Amino acid sequence: MISRLAYTFRETWASFRRNMTLTVAAIITSAVSLLIFGLTLLMQRGFDNLLVKWEGGVEMIVFVGSNANDEQRAEITNALDAQKPNLIESYRYCDVECSLDEADRVLAGDPGVLELLTAENVPTQFKVVPTDATDVDTLRLLRESLREAPGVQNIALAVEELDTIAKLKGFVGLYTLILSIVLLIAAVLLIWNTIRTAMFARRREIEVMKLVGATDWFIRVPFMLEGLIHGLLGSLGACAGLWLVNNRWTAGVQDFPDNSGFEAMVVPGSFTGVVMLGLLGIGMLAGAIGSGIAASRFLDV
Amino acid sequence: MIRIENVTKTYGTDVVALRDASFDVPKGEFVFLVGPSGSGKSTLLRLLNRQDRPERGAVWVAGRNIIDMPSGRVPQLRRNIGNIFQDYKLLLNKTVAENVAFAQEVIGKPKHVIRQQVPAVLDLVGLAGKEDRFPHQLSGGEQQRVSVARAFVNRPLIMLADEPTGNLDPATGEGIMRLLDRINKTGTTVLMATHDQRIVNTMRKRVIQLDRGVIVRDQARGVYE
Ligand SMILES: Nc1ncnc2c1ncn2[C@@H]1O[C@H](COP(=O)(O)OP(=O)(O)OP(=O)(O)O)[C@@H](O)[C@H]1O
Ligand SMILES: [Mg+2]
Repeated sequence: MISRLAYTFRETWASFRRNMTLTVAAIITSAVSLLIFGLTLLMQRGFDNLLVKWEGGVEMIVFVGSNANDEQRAEITNALDAQKPNLIESYRYCDVECSLDEADRVLAGDPGVLELLTAENVPTQFKVVPTDATDVDTLRLLRESLREAPGVQNIALAVEELDTIAKLKGFVGLYTLILSIVLLIAAVLLIWNTIRTAMFARRREIEVMKLVGATDWFIRVPFMLEGLIHGLLGSLGACAGLWLVNNRWTAGVQDFPDNSGFEAMVVPGSFTGVVMLGLLGIGMLAGAIGSGIAASRFLDV
Repeated sequence: MIRIENVTKTYGTDVVALRDASFDVPKGEFVFLVGPSGSGKSTLLRLLNRQDRPERGAVWVAGRNIIDMPSGRVPQLRRNIGNIFQDYKLLLNKTVAENVAFAQEVIGKPKHVIRQQVPAVLDLVGLAGKEDRFPHQLSGGEQQRVSVARAFVNRPLIMLADEPTGNLDPATGEGIMRLLDRINKTGTTVLMATHDQRIVNTMRKRVIQLDRGVIVRDQARGVYE
């Protein structure tokens, strides 16, 4: 068992050194592809943060001041009910707890502001789903009529806040995803080719091994290990890159103007950690499986 | 030990390498395969360790028909068969001892067994003292001895030799033959394909002659002709 392990690692290392150029190319390609894939996930998450308060067809949010009393809230409810079903299809009240939860996500990049929010001072929200979301003029009129109601602090319309964001998300998300998949395929092909070259260089040994009765798995495992290490090194590179980019972004966002809205696009460290683990998993799996298939395919040399 | 039953092996559509060949080799026998170039000798040897499969017929090795043997069992079959080739097939980046040990390492023999058996078999083939040389530092005959040692170190039941003396001068070839004879006397069944008339005629073992894939002669204590 020990000698077998020693054998495996010796062979893997020797093959690694023999194919330096191809190996490095395979590792760099897998690193870049996984990095782009990871960035796509982080960006999506950032956009989702921006969009989270508008989930479920909500087009208008009525923010209610924390000092409003029950009577004032009832009045707003009545005003909204009066427009059902002609203008308003439905609405949902997001209470103190719900609003704090949402702030946790939206303001992740702005811990200073987040800390100032408490159950006493957080504005609550009426989330309004209009009957016809495309009729912007009517929505604006509705806002005017509600603005003067007592207790209302502010009214936000989705069209004004996130039209560009939603478009940007669709565009960026799709193209970076395609790019990362194309690159990942390139990485697997490169690993495949590296393994093929490695096996060709050792075809005589493989022939002898087969003749004296080594099992296919015994022959295959060092090559799979090699592919797994390529994938691992590539994904480690991707993780380092991701960490760097995310750190620069988180730090950079603090310098943006206060109302840019970008602070919502900061992704919490825990999510970044999950993405990194995912990249490591994909990298190692793609490397091991790719080289395993390549090894089986060329075992007849 | 070996039984070939009505074996036909073709390559492509028109090359018939073996045609309806049948014979039987009991344990411990020594058999020469002779015949002109292209008559099917190497093909026959390749069928015996499942490097190839025939279209028709049965190939029995150590009591098993190996034609429909699942590929997972083939390694086990090959551990019972030693192979020697005209071109030695040594690994050039390994020393003599490493080449022999390799055949044990890759089938998972424990280190202490390897440490004990490799020197013993190198001693048997007359290479004691040359363990640390590389193949390019050996004569052709010595290289073939290394390959015999590698084939024999796992004590196979059967030894397949494809023109093992083809690249050697007569005296050196005779040395290899004495070695194969000794191995045969330990009970190992030996099948050897050869063009070497002198060797066949002096050893007087069983001779199976092939011509264009057909067995045309099977003679005990035979000669080359
Ligand atoms: N892999 C292959 N593909 C196609 N034809 C083959 C293959 N191997 C052998 N043959 C053909 O099968 C026939 C028998 O070949 P084989 O190698 O068994 O002959 P042989 O008796 O060993 O000859 P030699 O004495 O020259 O070694 C020949 O016609 C050869 O061309
Ligand atoms: Mg031949």
